[in-house]
Amino acid sequence: MEEKEKKFTSVSIPVPLFEKIKKRINGTGFTSVSDYVTFVLREILAEEEEDEGEEPFTKEDEEKVKERLRALGYLD
Amino acid sequence: MTFLVIGIDAATWKIIKPNINELKNFRRLMKIGRYKTLILNEKPISASAWCSIFSGKTPEEHKHKAFVENGNLKTRDDIKVDFIWDILHKQNYDVRALNIPFVIPPYNFNCKFKPVGYGLPETPDEWQEELEKVTSKAIEILEEKPDLLCVVYSLLDRIQHFHWNEPIVLEWYKRIDSVIGKLILYADKFIIISDHGFCDRDDAEVQTLPEKTPRGEIKGDHDKEAILITNIDYDIEKLQDVFYAIMEEMKNGQGNYGNGI
Ligand SMILES: [Zn+2]
Repeated sequence: MEEKEKKFTSVSIPVPLFEKIKKRINGTGFTSVSDYVTFVLREILAEEEEDEGEEPFTKEDEEKVKERLRALGYLD
Repeated sequence: MTFLVIGIDAATWKIIKPNINELKNFRRLMKIGRYKTLILNEKPISASAWCSIFSGKTPEEHKHKAFVENGNLKTRDDIKVDFIWDILHKQNYDVRALNIPFVIPPYNFNCKFKPVGYGLPETPDEWQEELEKVTSKAIEILEEKPDLLCVVYSLLDRIQHFHWNEPIVLEWYKRIDSVIGKLILYADKFIIISDHGFCDRDDAEVQTLPEKTPRGEIKGDHDKEAILITNIDYDIEKLQDVFYAIMEEMKNGQGNYGNGI
């Protein structure tokens, strides 16, 4: 198993925004603006994935699942 | 660094060890890592066992016993625990969970995936489809180099219930062996684990299924001997220890994992 290093790259954000974030994270657990920005972006992406992934689980789906559970004997 | 946890529902040494020369990836990983039998303290029931593995809680603590309660399907929100992915995500790690069958349909975290047959694949076509779809989704995730991926294959459980003691079972272990070989290429640290073992239905301590089902006769059932193969040092003695092993590894690996910006 070869070592796969985690790599980082830069993105640009406006300086005033950077300063604003810098003030915002003062006294929080975040030790750098990059840390905070990474956290926020991951949150947003995760939420989007969740929304996309959430094909509504319909009554019909539930019946199909129960049918499979019944077929396996999990459900009377 | 990527930590990869591969769950193989119902995998048992009873099939792996006597056929080890035909299961090259199992053989290789057992050689480079360590392996043991995990003896369950709890009833060998998939819903509860996977919940213990990924929450670090005992069944008395997480109180999740089965896929169905009072005629209703249980969902993630019915289970009042934080899982390893919930906790590490809050700590800014990139964590994914794929096809985890503590509920039906299986649970996914930070990835979009539609489990095959609602996580209850019934036919050889569906078994193959699960194998392929879970593998290709796992590879897609691993290419993004997450800090942790937990992924579970459920097909062996289904196959063994209906075909225990038949040659076809080994055929499917070989296919599992081959996909493990593909996934492990992306991992620095790994745990391969089952939630319980398997045995003749008559020898089973719990009969999770009736002898006759609309899909055929049940020939095998769960026993308390799960498999574990790993290349991390943490001493895993019971299912719940997997959770603590991952936490410890993430903590020690800080700087190597994504958290260390
Ligand atoms: Zn199981």
